[in-house]
Amino acid sequence: MGHFTLDIVTPTQNLDVIEVNYVRCPGIDGSFGIMANHQDGVFSLDIGEIMIQSESDTKFYSISGGFAEINENEVCLLVETIEVSSDIDISRAESALQRANERKTKRNEEDLDEVRMESSLSRALNRLRVANR
Amino acid sequence: MANLKDIRDRIKSVRSIQKVTKAMKMVAAAKMRKAQERMEQARPYTNRLVNVIHHLLPDVNRALLPLLDIRRIQRVGYVVVTSDRGLAGSFNTNVVKKAELEINEIGKENVDLFCIGKKAKDYFTRRNYNIIQSHIEFWNDLEFQHAIKMGEKIINHFVSKKVDEIHVCYNEFVNVATQTIQSEQLLPLEYNQEESSSVSNRLYEPSKEKLTKSLIPRHLNVQMWKYLLESYASEQAARMIAMENATDNAEDMVKNLTLEFNKARQASITKEMLEIVGGAEALK
Repeated sequence: MGHFTLDIVTPTQNLDVIEVNYVRCPGIDGSFGIMANHQDGVFSLDIGEIMIQSESDTKFYSISGGFAEINENEVCLLVETIEVSSDIDISRAESALQRANERKTKRNEEDLDEVRMESSLSRALNRLRVANR
Repeated sequence: MANLKDIRDRIKSVRSIQKVTKAMKMVAAAKMRKAQERMEQARPYTNRLVNVIHHLLPDVNRALLPLLDIRRIQRVGYVVVTSDRGLAGSFNTNVVKKAELEINEIGKENVDLFCIGKKAKDYFTRRNYNIIQSHIEFWNDLEFQHAIKMGEKIINHFVSKKVDEIHVCYNEFVNVATQTIQSEQLLPLEYNQEESSSVSNRLYEPSKEKLTKSLIPRHLNVQMWKYLLESYASEQAARMIAMENATDNAEDMVKNLTLEFNKARQASITKEMLEIVGGAEALK
């Protein structure tokens, strides 16, 4: 299987550039896969799970939205946060989920920003899902 | 000639102040190094994002996006980035002065302020400026989330047409010895219209418009993050230099005081000896 380079960039950390065979990303309109020699382009990513397959192993990451840019067989993932499944703190994610749920139930009182609330809820759910991989 | 004990006490107090300034310098130096590292880590992300945006923007109709909307300027928003604590030389004064100057040019009543850091908040509150929001006491555990939170509020203020332009005043970190005051326009977003987007055979998913719509808020978040990081690094650098000067000054003071002390001691010995000799002479 052909391979290509993957560069993951976030505002707070730079992961090493790695050689991979396959990346599955959560696109806005559903998840899609990238293999070697993919057409160039820019893709919006939703909150979700990224699967990265290389020669030696397969890893799962949770992301909170971002972009994928493909340029001549080089893929760059621009994401605001990324966590490998084994690093996710389950108890923290659970408490975040609880907070988000609580906020949802009493939203009428404070009239909170709905978009923000929904996204924090889905972020928490996503992190839990990826953590249990 | 001053009293010997007074001089000794003063030397002691100067020495203990010197210890404090020296410690503060070390702390600032360590914090600055960390801040610099974070700045370097953030850079690739910013550059890539700007790149993508520059490819996209020329094809996008400005009117479609509220964040690109150029309006006739009636009210202006100002974001002033300072620190929470003082003792950093002219770090806070300079940026606040610069902001005040620009605000007064537009007219105090036409400006909405966002204060970041206690110093800006204190200064502008005392002078009755129109402060919309201030963020204080977060610098010690600065995180990307802070930038997002601040950005959100500022962007909303612009999108809801309360202001027609947003400017940011902050200290830019050039190197340890130099920080320059920057005043930049954050919104509406500026870009180079002439830059050609030669890359035509590319996929955009979803549409270019939608991509831009979600890209730009992210870009602004990163910009905010950059301002915070730059300002934080500058603050620490300014404090480091200020404390180094203070330590040097204390050293000079100790030197002078020691000289004075020795003179006074010598004088009192001489005086005593004269008395003894005088006394012995009288006995003859």
